[in-house]
Amino acid sequence: MGFPDRPRAPQGGQKPKDPQADSSVSLLPHLEAKIRQTHSLAHLLTKYAEQLLQEYVQLQGDPFGLPSFSPPRLPVAGLSAPAPSHAGLPVHERLRLDAAALAALPPLLDVVRRRQAELNPRAQRLLRRLEDAARQARALGAAVEALLAALGAANRGPRAEPPTATASAASAAGVFPAKVLGLRVCGLYREWLSRTEGDLGQLLAGGPA
Amino acid sequence: MPAGRRGPAAQSARRPPPLLPLLLLCVLGAPQAGSGADTAVISPQDPTLLIGSSLLATCSVHGDPPGATAEGLYWTLNGRRLPPELSRVLNASTLALALANLNGSRQQSGDNLVCHARDGSILAGSCLYVGLPPEKPVNISCWSKNMKDLTCRWTPGAHGETFLHTNYSLKYKLRWYGQDNTCEEYHTVGPHSCHIPKDLALFTPYEIWVEATNRLGSARSDVLTLDILDVVTTDPPPDVHVSRVGGLEDQLSVRWVSPPALKDFLFQAKYQIRYRVEDSVDWKVVDDVSNQTSCRLAGLKPGTVYFVQVRCNPFGIYGSKKAGIWSEWSHPTAASTPRSERSGPGGGACEPRGGEPSSGPVRRELKQFLGWLKKHAYCSNLSFRLYDQWRAWMQKSHKTRNQDEGILPSGRRGTARGPAR
Repeated sequence: MGFPDRPRAPQGGQKPKDPQADSSVSLLPHLEAKIRQTHSLAHLLTKYAEQLLQEYVQLQGDPFGLPSFSPPRLPVAGLSAPAPSHAGLPVHERLRLDAAALAALPPLLDVVRRRQAELNPRAQRLLRRLEDAARQARALGAAVEALLAALGAANRGPRAEPPTATASAASAAGVFPAKVLGLRVCGLYREWLSRTEGDLGQLLAGGPA
Repeated sequence: MPAGRRGPAAQSARRPPPLLPLLLLCVLGAPQAGSGADTAVISPQDPTLLIGSSLLATCSVHGDPPGATAEGLYWTLNGRRLPPELSRVLNASTLALALANLNGSRQQSGDNLVCHARDGSILAGSCLYVGLPPEKPVNISCWSKNMKDLTCRWTPGAHGETFLHTNYSLKYKLRWYGQDNTCEEYHTVGPHSCHIPKDLALFTPYEIWVEATNRLGSARSDVLTLDILDVVTTDPPPDVHVSRVGGLEDQLSVRWVSPPALKDFLFQAKYQIRYRVEDSVDWKVVDDVSNQTSCRLAGLKPGTVYFVQVRCNPFGIYGSKKAGIWSEWSHPTAASTPRSERSGPGGGACEPRGGEPSSGPVRRELKQFLGWLKKHAYCSNLSFRLYDQWRAWMQKSHKTRNQDEGILPSGRRGTARGPAR
C-alpha cells in the first residue's frame, strides 16, 4: 500500500499544523481510495458478522435464538464493548481503539471455534465462519492500522499481547457458560466491526477529527 | 421435552415427589471458570443421560447479591418455562428440579437447562445430553477405484438416531499381519463413509470394521474381510459415439473405448448399455454386451432422438471370480434414427457387429430359422449380415419406388416387401 510522505513541518517559524485538530485536512486521492476500500471491507465484514451470529445462536439451541434471551454479559479478558464515550472521541482515537479491538478478537474467536468444534462437530459452516472471522478481523485491523500510519496517527507504543486467560478459562468452563461466552465474543465481533465501519465512514466524510 | 409431573407432584409439593429411579449427581463445586458473573450454580453440570431416565438438579444461589434466596427462582429448558410442580425449594438458597422420562436432546450441543431469578435474569445454566448409546454399525460395503484406493460405506445401526454426537471410525488391517489402521477421510460419499486413498495391498485380504462412540458408550461392527481385487470398479467408458447404421431407420451403432485406467486388464470386462427416447424417463437396458466395445441397437423408432449411456464392470480382473462392481454410466450421448414412413417395431436390443443374434423376438426367431436353413437347406452363406444387407436394399428400393410414383412423405404407406422387380 503506497502512502504519501507524512506532512512536513512548515517553513519559516509557522506553528506546525495538527492534522487531528484541523478538520479541513484534504485527503490525497489515493489515501482517500484506501479509506474507501477499507470502509467497504468493514461494511462487508459487518454483514458476515451478522450471519455468524445468526448461525451461532441457531446451533446453541433455544433460548439463545429467542428475542427475550438476555444472558449475563460476561467480561471477556482483554476486550470490552465500545464505550458510550467512544462516539465522542476524535476519529483517529476511535480508529486506534477499533484497531486494538480487531487485534484482540482473533484469539477469542479461535477459542470459540475450538469449543464449538467439540460441541457442534458437524457444524462445518459455523466452524468455517469462525475461522474466517478471525482471519478477517486480523486483515481489517491491519488495514486500519495502515491507514492510521498513513495519517500520522498510529499508536507508537508497544502493542498489548492478546490475553490467554480467556482460552484456558473457557476450556475449563461448563458447556452453558461456554455457549454464553461464545455468544458474547460473536456479539463483540459484530459490535466492533460495526463501530469500525462507522468510524471509517466519518473519516471518509472528513468528519470532525 | 420432558414429561411433566402432574397431580401427585403438585399435591405433594412439600414432600419429596415419588420419582422414578433417579440419576442423582449432586456435584457441589465452586462457580465454574469463565462464568464469573454467575450468582448461582447448577448441579449436575452437563450430565449425560439415557432417554427415558430421570434427573434431579439443584440451583444453589450464592450470597451475592445479599439476600438472594431460592424463593421466586424458576427453571427453563430450551427456553421454555418448566411447570412449577416440577420444582421444590430445598432450603433457603437451593431450588430443586425433578425431571422424569427425558426425551432425546433437541440439539447436539446439549439441551439448555437454565435457572432464573424472579425477574427473569439468568443465574446459571447447565447442558443436558440425553440420548442412546450407539448401535452396532452394519452393512459395510467397499469398493476400489481402479485398484488404487478403497472407499467404504456403512449404516449406523437399526435405530440410527442417538440424539448425541456419535463418532464413527473406520478401521482396517491386513488379515494375517499388520497393525490396525484408521481411515482419515470421512464423508466422501455420504455421511457414513470413508476413503483410504493409498498404500493398499493386492492379493491379500483386508479386515475392515467400524467403531461407533458417543457419550453413552461404543459399539463395533462385524468384521468385513475382502480382497481389493474382488471389489474393483472403474471409470465409465470414455468416447462413447452413437451413429446411424446407413439408412436403417430402426438401428443405431454404439461404439466406446475401454476405460483407460484398466485397459490392460479388462479381458473379461462386461458392458451394459442403456438408452431412452429423448422425452422419456424410462431407460431400456441391454445386458448381454460382453467384452467388446461396440454394439448395434435395433428395433428403434425411426426419426427419433435417443440418449445412450454405457458402463463397465471390470469382471475377472487379475483372475478374480467375484462379480465386480459396475462403473458409473458414461455421459449421455445422443443420436437420431433416420426418418421413415414405416414405423419400426417398439422393442430394442443390442446387436453386435459381426451378425451375432440379439435378444429381440423377431430377430430371435429369424436366428432360429436361419439355423434351421443352414442345417436342412444347405444355405451356408446365410447370416445376419446378409439379412441386414437385404433390409437396407429393401429400404432403398422402397424410397426409389415412392419417388417414381410421386408419393409424398406423408402419403400412403408403401406395401412392397419383397425385392424390387
